[in-house]
Amino acid sequence: MRRSTSASLTLVCAVALAQGPATRLTYGVRVLLRNGADTSVVGTGEVTGPMETGLRLGVHTDSADVDMLLTTFPEPDSFTLAGDFVATRLMGPSRRGLPMYEQDEYRRQRHLAWTDTVRLHPFGSPRARGRRELWIELRVTTAAAGGITRPSEWLELADSSIDLTLEAVVRPRRATVLLALVRGEAGSIPLRLDLVPDGIPRTLDLVVDPAAPHHFEMRLTAPEPARTARARALALDADVVCLRLSEPGATTAAHVLCGRLNNVARRLPLAGGDTLVATFVWPAVR
Amino acid sequence: MTDHERWARDIEADLDGALTLAEQAALARHLAVCPTCAGTRASHLELRASLARASGHPHARVMPRQTLRGRTLALLAVLLALAGAAGGWLAHARWGGPGAGGLEASRATIDVR
Repeated sequence: MRRSTSASLTLVCAVALAQGPATRLTYGVRVLLRNGADTSVVGTGEVTGPMETGLRLGVHTDSADVDMLLTTFPEPDSFTLAGDFVATRLMGPSRRGLPMYEQDEYRRQRHLAWTDTVRLHPFGSPRARGRRELWIELRVTTAAAGGITRPSEWLELADSSIDLTLEAVVRPRRATVLLALVRGEAGSIPLRLDLVPDGIPRTLDLVVDPAAPHHFEMRLTAPEPARTARARALALDADVVCLRLSEPGATTAAHVLCGRLNNVARRLPLAGGDTLVATFVWPAVR
Repeated sequence: MTDHERWARDIEADLDGALTLAEQAALARHLAVCPTCAGTRASHLELRASLARASGHPHARVMPRQTLRGRTLALLAVLLALAGAAGGWLAHARWGGPGAGGLEASRATIDVR
């Protein structure tokens, strides 16, 4: 088979795997702790979502914080697991006795078969003489799942002394925005809009007082690029969207309201004493 | 520099054998008429005699050179090495350091089981 044909087939398969909402990616996580000669499972968890879902893991101890964002790049019979790591390690006390930390950012990647189980050592290679060692076993699987697009996660830790966090990271293809206009005790009829980030602008008419209606051109966009390297590496703004409201025909937004898709109402004061209340949520399961 | 100080320097050089014959003659003439400088020369000679006795050479004709024996040198080297190691250990305990494995050893690894 010619190389170009093979590459095209790989690309087609990768796109087919990544595109369809019918495939679901799952990261199965087991946290293991070796204490002397005993090794035990101290935590289990799972992150699942559409194919582009990433896994954000954080392991925190008294002397080191390691946060990582693991992402997969699927191929037909294998995948590449890439990890962006951000570590803060205790270096020791300063001359004045204050703790000194070093910050480290790096990237690791590994080509794997779908049947492989990965051992992730967050604090470096296992030491033969180390008495206490924590590592994470990771299994990445895919499965057909009819159109479920919402990411989910769960984690159960049996040892409360272990500080470990686990989150699903996925940039929303769509977002549901609940909008209402409020003035004092009165409120407009709530609107539920299903929007695509960076999609076509829509016109919005909201009225509490018929004498002072509000007409906006509304767009949902991705937030500004993260300012810190840590936020960029860990994609901390992955589920953040921004609602940009402008006067019809205007080129610049008059109001910008950003927030996570976490079902928390956010308020935006408007001219004339009205307040726009916007709530960003993940779209309902289809 | 006073005259006495200059003559005292010449006395020191004479005892080291570093003066020319003409300088030795000039110094001898001065010592014959200057009791202060003659006393200085006597003091220098007594000091050198004391040092020679202390170093185990009471009959030396000139000031014996300090020599370091091999065993003493080895002992000094060992003591210095121990002091350096102890200082390094204390500094590491106090201020920390890169550790045995370095930065790469403390970074996360992805292994396939």
